[in-house]
Amino acid sequence: MLKSDSALSCLVLNRRALLVGTAACATALAMPIRHAAAAVRLDVTQGTIQPLPIALPDFVGATPADGDAARGMSQVITANLRRSGLFAPIDPAAYIEKVFGVDAAPRFEDWRAINAQALVTGRLTRQGDGRFKVEFRLWDVFAGQQLIGQQYFSPADNWRRIAHIISDAIYERLTGEKGYFDTRIVFIDETGPKERRVKRLAIMDQDGASVRYLTRGDDLVLTPRFSPSTQEITYMSYGQGDPRVFLLNIETGQREIVGNFPGMTFAPRFSPDGQRIVMSLQQGGNSNIFAMDLRSKTTTRLTDTPAIDTAPSYSPDGARICFESDRGGSQQIYVMTASGGAAQRISFGEGSYSTPVWSPRGDYIAFTKRGRGSFGIGVLRPDGQGERLLTEGYHNEGPTWAPNGRVLMFFRDPGGSAGPALYTVDITGRNEQRIPTPSYASDPAWSPLLS
Amino acid sequence: MKMGLTISVVAHAAVLLWAVVSFGARPYNATPPDSLPIDIISVAEFSQMVAGSKTAAKAPAPKPLVEKVAERKPADNPAAKVAEKPEIITASALMPESQPAPKMSEPKPAPQAKPESKPQEVEKKPDPKPDPIADALKKDDSKKPEAKKEEAKVPTPKKPPEPQPKFDPKQIEQRLALLDKRDAQRRAATGETFSPTPTLGASTGNAPRLSQNELDALRARLAQCWNLPAGAADAKDLNVEVQMLLKQDGSLSAEPKVLNRSANPFFQVAAESALRAIRTCAPFNFLPVAKYEAWKDIEINFNPQYMFRS
Repeated sequence: MLKSDSALSCLVLNRRALLVGTAACATALAMPIRHAAAAVRLDVTQGTIQPLPIALPDFVGATPADGDAARGMSQVITANLRRSGLFAPIDPAAYIEKVFGVDAAPRFEDWRAINAQALVTGRLTRQGDGRFKVEFRLWDVFAGQQLIGQQYFSPADNWRRIAHIISDAIYERLTGEKGYFDTRIVFIDETGPKERRVKRLAIMDQDGASVRYLTRGDDLVLTPRFSPSTQEITYMSYGQGDPRVFLLNIETGQREIVGNFPGMTFAPRFSPDGQRIVMSLQQGGNSNIFAMDLRSKTTTRLTDTPAIDTAPSYSPDGARICFESDRGGSQQIYVMTASGGAAQRISFGEGSYSTPVWSPRGDYIAFTKRGRGSFGIGVLRPDGQGERLLTEGYHNEGPTWAPNGRVLMFFRDPGGSAGPALYTVDITGRNEQRIPTPSYASDPAWSPLLS
Repeated sequence: MKMGLTISVVAHAAVLLWAVVSFGARPYNATPPDSLPIDIISVAEFSQMVAGSKTAAKAPAPKPLVEKVAERKPADNPAAKVAEKPEIITASALMPESQPAPKMSEPKPAPQAKPESKPQEVEKKPDPKPDPIADALKKDDSKKPEAKKEEAKVPTPKKPPEPQPKFDPKQIEQRLALLDKRDAQRRAATGETFSPTPTLGASTGNAPRLSQNELDALRARLAQCWNLPAGAADAKDLNVEVQMLLKQDGSLSAEPKVLNRSANPFFQVAAESALRAIRTCAPFNFLPVAKYEAWKDIEINFNPQYMFRS
């Protein structure tokens, strides 16, 4: 009985506690909950994709003699930014504020009136030892603040490179991606009538300036490629007998044959660390992919099929290789690990795919697609999804990526008596531009950033 | 008895515990509905509010829609002179030698002549009176094309000079011949004083929220000014939340502030583009001043993920 009494008394206590608890909860719930200040909330999911209006007044020369070099630099920077398609330089005739200095802040209201969203001011001074000192500032006009301020010292004849470096800095600060202006293009320069073209290896700045020839044109040269780490170019040349892969050092001019293979070797490409070259070697009617270490000269066979496997390209992390193969009956793109092994097909569209190139950002593979009577340059993701064509026409071929993975360069042969020319297109498919070359040009390869 | 009680209590507790654990597993997520401001009033208060007062000022009658001030028409003079009527010569007067036989028909030609003369009178009446309606129409037409020409002149100086097409006078003549030269059918509603507001409804509402139209207008303006970086990789988590404080005239009262952070390397550029959009678009002078309390603090979420495909 005692136990039951205690049990009951426990229950009563529990019940009382329960009642008190529920009453407390009820009062707590009954109190009004204070909302935060009700601000209007708005979702903006649409915007306009337009080139950013930017004002680039001429750089100021400290003396009138420097004025020419300063103006030249401004023109190079303006042309670079306009060609990228992401900037719209404003016509200098529209500027309201006419006196520009690097030291004082500009009058932002004048620049806002012409809707310049960014402004670049700069000054060039010739130092006592003949070098140039270049200072520039990038301003955000509507915020009224400076975004970058830098100065560079350079030898007098290197002013173009400084202009490209400044363009890169502006591009990177305003779009968030690394620039691609301080780079060079190596390509095959073609001269002469169509039956007897003279093909020479040439190198130039990415805007078409400072063209330099690297071979004399006695032998036929094809598919030059840049090394990612050193100043070396690998290319294929029809020397004596079979075509061979050569390695050329740009600065010293030294040339060596890569490997000593019986048979033809072609389509060479560097690995991202610059230590290996991967190429395809033809034996009989069969072509397979080999990798060769440049220092130790050891070669490794990566594919072993009776089909034609060629045009290999490393992924930017060096772990995978994409290549073209016709083991399935038509030329398609396959991906395998860098040590060889099983390959997966990733291209499944209509037509045949060739010359796959992996983007330096790793998110796309560019290719040449041939089908329905025309050639096209396109991109697809490494898993095969999201294939789209960027340009189409009679004979577009040979895509190569800019170092930031945003722009593709290729060559287009219009047919007939005219020869091929180099074009660039943005990865969104817009802004196709022609790169001026002294004569016909083909097979471009984009160098990594020089700085 | 004791054992039965304890077993019963334990069993009940176990069932309750199991119920609490198993039924409370997944909370039901319902989207919260938009909050409405609600005032709870008693019936007496309500009837007091709508009672009205006999001594209050009379509400103005709704004005008719007037789009342009009318021409002053000459008022009709009620004391008009009676026009001299021509003498009515009846048929019976024309034929004084009436035969006794058609005496019966005499009264017939008499009433017949009268209705004949009456239509003559009626026909003459409208002619002398000037036609004010036709005059007003002609004046309207002459004024409308003038107004239109002024408007057309203003936007053209803003456009940059375009290359002129080859000037061919013959083509112009041909095209002039094809122009519709009829008078315009629609006439502007005319009245004494200009009042463009529609008759029904008041211009200021008492809702403290922005209407959907105003929100859409604000969204469209921001979308126009928002210049976003194209082709950025990983555009998924690039949404930027910005807090914008406005003054009564729609201009910014403080620098817009970015409220969120992201590890994405493009976030700084996306945030700058959002801030630049707000600064370029300001002032937002189309927002109604009467609802200033509703829009003085706006939180905008710039979300580019629907614009990037593949």
